[in-house]
Amino acid sequence: MTESPLTCARVRVLLESYVDGDLERDDPMQSDAVREHLAGCADCRRQHHQAVSVPFRLKALASPPPRESLVGDVMHAIAPSRSGYRRAWTLIAPEAILATFILWYLSGLDGLSSIASGIFGDLQGLVGWGSGTGPMPSVPRVDVLLLISLIALAAVAGYHLSVLIRLAPSTLPTRRTARE
Amino acid sequence: MSDVRAAAALPAAQLVRQAAGGDLDAFEELIRNLQRRVYGFAYQHLRDPDEAHDLAQEIFVKLYRNLARYDAERPFDPWFWKLAANTAINYRRKRIPMPAEPTEETAAPEHQLPAHDPALVEALSQLDPAYRMPVLLHYYADLSLEQVGLSLNLSVPAIKSRLHRARAQLRNSLAESDESGAPR
Repeated sequence: MTESPLTCARVRVLLESYVDGDLERDDPMQSDAVREHLAGCADCRRQHHQAVSVPFRLKALASPPPRESLVGDVMHAIAPSRSGYRRAWTLIAPEAILATFILWYLSGLDGLSSIASGIFGDLQGLVGWGSGTGPMPSVPRVDVLLLISLIALAAVAGYHLSVLIRLAPSTLPTRRTARE
Repeated sequence: MSDVRAAAALPAAQLVRQAAGGDLDAFEELIRNLQRRVYGFAYQHLRDPDEAHDLAQEIFVKLYRNLARYDAERPFDPWFWKLAANTAINYRRKRIPMPAEPTEETAAPEHQLPAHDPALVEALSQLDPAYRMPVLLHYYADLSLEQVGLSLNLSVPAIKSRLHRARAQLRNSLAESDESGAPR
């Protein structure tokens, strides 16, 4: 059983596999054929030396050490996202101030119970008027306007809160105060 | 300082779990442990110290933003290096082309290494990304063939084949460089 001799082109395709020992393991006969070819072909022998040296030359290609500032720069780069997240919460503040002002106006300075009963009474009157069982309630127009504003503000604040909760990491990033 | 050294022994997956829970010290320790490999990978990808610094930083910031997506049941290295490889490919795609060898203006003497194998550096820079990335991950991020395969969603035989082709291309480029009498 005689194997046809390998061409230079074929040997060069197989060189890396031959150098790594994969060819010897997967196809010992072809590996022998490459060895024989190399023994008689100076050009392919030069390619073989190059193939042997490439992994070592790759490994020897040095990289400088990372800069001392790399870790600090990364920690600084991630900091704005945390402070930005906290800043987003401050957007709730104007909404809260407006809501408090509207509640104060509607309360007529009689306290929260009068707000609740007033709003309930107004709503009841509006429902009765809407269903045709009662007369048009005599709610001051400005109160109706403020009540609608309050409901709109509560909806905006609720949406805002839901966005913040969705954006929130599992817990806010913190520095450990003590290590085990 | 000794705290940091003691923490270096902690497995990366544990540090990631702590960091994902909001522990910034754990995240800092994690990047301290990874910085040399990540910077080496970035440097060999770009061959420019300033850009390598920027890329390494971008990889770590992306890691921080994706901590919540890490599945603690799976190995950390392939997951992380997949993220690093994608970031590196995108970074190179969008950057302004730079010469392989730094000019006098861009050279920072304290960080600049002489390219003692310029022919190989040039040949490496010419490799197609499909062949280049396995080389970078295997030789400069020190990943095993299995880990490179997991990072790039390829089987081990496919990775071996790409590494063989990459080395064959490098060998051909080096042979051409030798023949043309370019300095080595």
